[in-house]
Parts: sequence; C-alpha cells; structure tokens
Amino acid sequence: MKNPMETPPPLTEHDAFLVRLGRVCIDGFEGGRALSSLFLRTLWFTFRGSRPKGATAHEAFEIGNKSLGFLALTMGFIGMILVYQSAVQLGRLVPDYTMVGANYGELLVRELGPTIGALMLATRVGAGMAAELASMVVTEQVDALRLCAADPVDFLVVPRFLASLVMTLMVVVLSSAFAYGTGAVTAFIAFDVRFDVFANLSLIDFGDVMTGLAKCVAYGAAIPICSCHCGLEAYGGSAGVGRATTAAVVLSSLAIIVLNFFISAGAFLVGL
Amino acid sequence: MPALYPRKTPSARRERESYTQCVITLAWPPQAADHTDPPGVAVTIPRTPNLVIRLESLGVRLVDRRRGDRRWVLHGLDVTVPRGCVYGLIGPGAAGKSVLLKALAGLLPIEEGVVAVEEVNVAAASALELEQLRRRLGMAFQNNALFDHLTVAENIAFPLRRLFTPTEDEVREKIAERLACVTLPGFEGRMPPGLSGGQKKRVAFARATITKPPILLLDEPAAGLDPVTSQRLFDLIRKDVKASGATCVVVSSDLDRLLPICDRVGVLVHGELLFDGTVEDAKRSSDARVYQFVNGLPDGPL
Repeated sequence: MKNPMETPPPLTEHDAFLVRLGRVCIDGFEGGRALSSLFLRTLWFTFRGSRPKGATAHEAFEIGNKSLGFLALTMGFIGMILVYQSAVQLGRLVPDYTMVGANYGELLVRELGPTIGALMLATRVGAGMAAELASMVVTEQVDALRLCAADPVDFLVVPRFLASLVMTLMVVVLSSAFAYGTGAVTAFIAFDVRFDVFANLSLIDFGDVMTGLAKCVAYGAAIPICSCHCGLEAYGGSAGVGRATTAAVVLSSLAIIVLNFFISAGAFLVGL
Repeated sequence: MPALYPRKTPSARRERESYTQCVITLAWPPQAADHTDPPGVAVTIPRTPNLVIRLESLGVRLVDRRRGDRRWVLHGLDVTVPRGCVYGLIGPGAAGKSVLLKALAGLLPIEEGVVAVEEVNVAAASALELEQLRRRLGMAFQNNALFDHLTVAENIAFPLRRLFTPTEDEVREKIAERLACVTLPGFEGRMPPGLSGGQKKRVAFARATITKPPILLLDEPAAGLDPVTSQRLFDLIRKDVKASGATCVVVSSDLDRLLPICDRVGVLVHGELLFDGTVEDAKRSSDARVYQFVNGLPDGPL
C-alpha cells in the first residue's frame, strides 16, 4: 500500500504549468466562497450572536473617531485640488465659475465622498483589522477562542462589521462636508467665487443622495468583511501578518472599486 | 452550511437541545469526576471505561500554503491514553505534536480515523457536541494564546464565563485560587504584554485549569524558560494534575523535566508514532531513533 507521507515524484514543466493554473482557479473559487461564507456568517451572528458588551462601541471609536482627522485632512486636500483643477479647465471653455460649486457638490455626494473616503478608510482601518486578527491567528488566540466556544466571527468580525457600517457613513459625511468647505475656500481665493455662489445645491437630487448613501453602506460592509477574511486566513508568523495586511488593503480597495461600478451602474439603470 | 452555534440565546439553546435530544449541564462547579453521562448522541462511540483518549488510524492533512498543496501531517496514528494518565508526547521539531493536540481538541479537520475523547468521536462531532466536550477539556497553547486586550483575571476567567454560568463571586474566588496556585497572587489587573515569559506560561496554565477539566492538553508548557522556572512549572503541573486526577497529554522538548512526571510516553517522528509505552521502555527501546531521541544522543539516525 502506498504511504501518503512519501514525497510525490517531481512534475514535468507542462504538468507543473497546469497544476499552477488549476491552483489559481481553485484558490480564486475558494477565496470567493470563503468571503461569501464569512459575510453570511457575520449576518447570522449579527442577530443571533453573544459577543461581549461594549465591543461594538469600542470598534466604532477605533474606526470612526480615530479616523475622522485623517479622513478630513485627506478629503480636504482632495477637495482643494479638485476644485482648483476643474475651475481651471472650466475657465478654458467658459469663463464663468458660478456652477463650479454645484457640480462639485453633486460629484462629492454621488461619487467622490463615499469612494475616496472609503479607500482612505480601507488603508487605515482595513489594514488595522487585518493585522490585529492575523496576529491573533498566528499566536493561537483564535484557537483559544474556539476552544472556549466563542466563535471568532461572532467575537471578532461582527463588532467590526457593525461599527464599520455606522461609522463609515458618519465619517464619510463629515469628511465630505469638510472637503466641500475646503473647496469653497479654494474657489474663493483662487477664482473669486463667493461662498453663497459656491454653496449651490441645485444639482443634488434625491437620486444622488440615495446613491451616495448606498455606496457608504456597501463600503462599510465590504471593508471589514474583506479585511477580517484576510486576517483570519493568515498563516506563518510575522511575515503572515504582513501578507494579510497587504492583502486586506488590496482586497478592500478592489471591492470598493467594483462595488462603486455596480452601484453606479444600478443607479443609472433605475434612473436615480 | 458553515457551523453556527450562537450561545446564550434562550430560544436558540432550546432549539438545539430539542434537536439533539441531549441535556446541557450548565451547573457550576462542573462534575469533573462524573464520567457516566453520555456527552453526545449522534457520534458517541462504544464506551471504553478506562480510556479517555483513543486514536485509531488517525490521519490529518493540512494545507501547505507555501507549496499550495495538502500534506499529511499525521498518518496512521494509534494511541490510547488511560484515565488519570500523564502522557508525554515527544519528538523532534515538525513531527506533528501540536497538530495532534489540536486534533484532540477538535480544532483541526480530521480526514481519516477515529479520535475518541471521552466517548465522543471528535472527527464527526457537531458544534454542540464539541462544545460539550470542551467543557471537560483544558488546553494551554504553545504561544500561550493570552488575549492581549484582556487583563490576567479576565483571561483566566474566560473559559469559565464562556462554558459555564458561574456567579461573579465564584469567578473571583476561582481566579484568586488559580493565581495563588501558579504563584502569581495580585496579578489580576495586569495585562499580558507586560508579563515575562514564565508569567505568561503560568497564566496560560491557570486559564487551562480554571474549570478543573478532567482532560488537560499542554503544548510546550515550559518552552523558552530558564531551567529554574521550567522546573517550577513542571512541579506545578505534576502537583496540580495529581491533585485533580486529570488525564493529561503534555508536549515538551524538555525531556529531563517532562519524563519524570509521565506515566506513559509517545515518540512522534514525521507524523508517525514510533513508540508508545512507559518511560523506562522508551529509554531501552530497540528502535534506534527512539533510543537516540529519548536518551538525547547527538549521533544517530535522527
């Protein structure tokens, strides 16, 4: 009888290529399945779990309060750059800056605020979540949780998921408001656009607001799910923690871009 | 469908109880000496009164993510551990010792064979049956696995609070008793990152034993410690295990301190059990690899 502990014979180059190709396909399929499974289990434990009291509030503080300054600063600078560049380009066509604020407001509510804000949040919060969970995995803390009948999804993922759902929306709204303010200041200083002229919300309709809110909620769900998935799948000591952190930022950013496309397309299709 | 076992929800608990037709005991203190009640229904196996752990043709295959394939880490393992026995599991690095302990605790998928712990086949047990088994099982991990965001007291009390429903007075009393036992009185409010290696090991041991489990799994309980601290820790393990009468499986590379406290010993090399018997027989083994390892000889087949 063949001993399974024996090392298999080396593969030919052609077979090795097929093995690699198959492995990539299987990894992709299994990764997608694991991600969707984590999302479903997170939803289940959101309503049926027994996580410790105060865990969600603690995570909300970590995700929301501690990210607000970073996001406001980033969005503020992006607002200044965007208003300046768009006004310069507009000036080449028609030397009328009265609609700069209105266009910028619509773009900010519908697209830039949620997407840029979520991308920034993914770099800060997503990396932190993945690193924390990955270090818990490699130091066997997750095994210790399971041994005590504490499901890691319930204990570690659900508080981050709930906190991210709420705080992504809050932080994006506040940082977008700050970005609108810095844009107004830039328009006033560089192009003499008065604040009352810049604060033109006539182009922002119900569809823009709903699309922006839908994106905030979707990104708020995607960041913790992608990041926690990468963290919980970590292996191999400190190098594994590094790999998980990188993968979390990449996967979260990719998820945000893909979700942005589908939500925007869906909004256009339904006429929002 | 992934394994889901939400706890402390009365309706969910009632639902699970009626489904599995078994009674969950939440009383404190746990009935450590009572081994007569069947812990599960669906996967109970024939009773062997004197054996707490029985492995038959155990095979564990894990994903080697660097190579991208699955490797057999344990294969064809047959081990029995009688009740009240201190079983030393030894072997060179990467032999599969920690994997075996995790398989016993139901923390790893088991591909083939039977892992019977207290008449429960861990390989086929449901989440509920595993939870019931884990009430009777304590484990100290190789990396201590102390939760960094919890205090020493909260760490020690964690299994007690999760697996049973003790009152806060009982929790405080048990924490103080365990800390006194591991000679760390007054450490309740300390955080794990601020502890030394030996203190962490002792806190991990206190957490593993706070529920007075009848089965104790210790993975390298004295790794990385100086000889004095290591000896004290093994003395503590011997005293505590003998006092509680627990069945204990200890993995350690410190043979000088491990072997004197063992009733039986198993030598694991590359996932295969080369020897299973008494310490004296191991030291006189005719297998060159076992003889070399147990006697700590630099020259030999290993």
